Amino acid sequence: MKKWYFIAVLTLVAAVVLSGCGAKSSNNNAGGEAGNGGEDVTYMFATDAAYAPMEYMDKDVISGFDIEFLDLVMEEAGLKHEVKHTGWDGMLEGVKQANEFQAGISSISITDDRKQTYDYSMPYFESINVIMVKEGSDIKSALDLKGKKVAVQSGTTADILMTGIMGEGNTDLKKMDSNAVALLELDQGGADAVVADIAIVRDYIKNNPDKKYVEVSDTTNFTPEYYGILYPKGSDLKAKLDPAIKTVIENGKYAELYKKWFGEEPNTANLLNAK
Amino acid sequence: MDFRFDIIWDYAPLLLKGTLYTIGISLSSILLGSILGLGVSFGKMSSRWFLRWPMQSYVNFFRGTPLLVQIYIVHFGLIPLLYGKTNAIIAAITALSLNAAAYTAEIYRAGIQSIDKGQMEAAKSLGMTHGQAMRFIILPQAIRRMIPAFGNEFIVLVKDSSLVALITAPEIMYWSNAMKAQYIRVWEPYLAAAFIYFILTYTLNKILGAVERKV
Repeated sequence: MKKWYFIAVLTLVAAVVLSGCGAKSSNNNAGGEAGNGGEDVTYMFATDAAYAPMEYMDKDVISGFDIEFLDLVMEEAGLKHEVKHTGWDGMLEGVKQANEFQAGISSISITDDRKQTYDYSMPYFESINVIMVKEGSDIKSALDLKGKKVAVQSGTTADILMTGIMGEGNTDLKKMDSNAVALLELDQGGADAVVADIAIVRDYIKNNPDKKYVEVSDTTNFTPEYYGILYPKGSDLKAKLDPAIKTVIENGKYAELYKKWFGEEPNTANLLNAK
Repeated sequence: MDFRFDIIWDYAPLLLKGTLYTIGISLSSILLGSILGLGVSFGKMSSRWFLRWPMQSYVNFFRGTPLLVQIYIVHFGLIPLLYGKTNAIIAAITALSLNAAAYTAEIYRAGIQSIDKGQMEAAKSLGMTHGQAMRFIILPQAIRRMIPAFGNEFIVLVKDSSLVALITAPEIMYWSNAMKAQYIRVWEPYLAAAFIYFILTYTLNKILGAVERKV
């Protein structure tokens, strides 16, 4: 009786694992066909539209810097596309299986761990993490955060950087579901600092002047990072879009869009030189 | 096969630590929730309106709103109000206990009310007080009937405790999410978490089965 149970459970787990993999191998073909199909193919992009101002839902329309940037690139490449809000997990799995989606765009930082599973476009956006603390705090650099309670959005590079500094498994590093909740954690005294993308921290400080928060930047421990478009391994879309991304950055359209969203000039030289 | 056991292995120590937290949080919540639930259910069955109405509202609120919302309210509202700042583990146990109390209250009530009225009348006609009748006649019979429902509630609670990952209580789902974030891979973290939860609930099921046979 007991053995019978155990075998049933194993079979169930194996079935789930295999169905995941099986779906992947058969669907790669579909992705390939879409790639070879010529002009009237509509490329499907997945996004997690919950990261304003990069990508977010404006009522029921997906909006944001990434989305408008993608419009420019696809126009430059002469390809049709659509963007669908799938959530983060849906995007990851959807792009990996490559049957419904051929790519994902969602402020996805390029890291080596992630490259093991996905391909990336050339970098299209430079960002850096900064620390947000209360005015008069003794935190002056990222290393001062050791032994303090720090809130980050789980899965962001802020999470990865702070895990590196504070140690894997350290529960003083609070990996929250979103930046909004991380900021709330700081407001309610559960954290001494929030680490997040510079755009998000500046936006929050600007919109909440009464809370007396300040931005602490640490360019030694936090190095610039780059966002890329996410492709399944071996996608031929990279070869089509990288030249278009380069053109859009070089011909000034990128700078124009950047100024529209962030009110300042981008450092495009950094972007083009980044690996 | 495109399934990376190496990243699960990488996170195994954290998942193990998370499992201990899940067990700790679940056990505390089951215990506190059951004690609280007993009080709520007696309040709800009381003939005095000022006891009955608040307890009735309590049950309605906690059964009528999503647990996730309750967790957020406790974490960002109740605990900072009482404790001065947030604390994920205290908030997790508080929210899960309050929620479990509402469900266990209904289990107590259903169990007690399922015993035939004649039993109480018979006990009283033997000269027992209401309290004695409850203790010696009604409850021993009612508890037998409550056990399967309690078992169900406990298993649901263990699984629902995965929601407290969202307020950073460092349990199984929290580390599974961290694994997902680092490698942006979906299957490995979720299947690892599913496997651990299954082992936990399966074991709990076995223990409950043994208890049911004993009582």
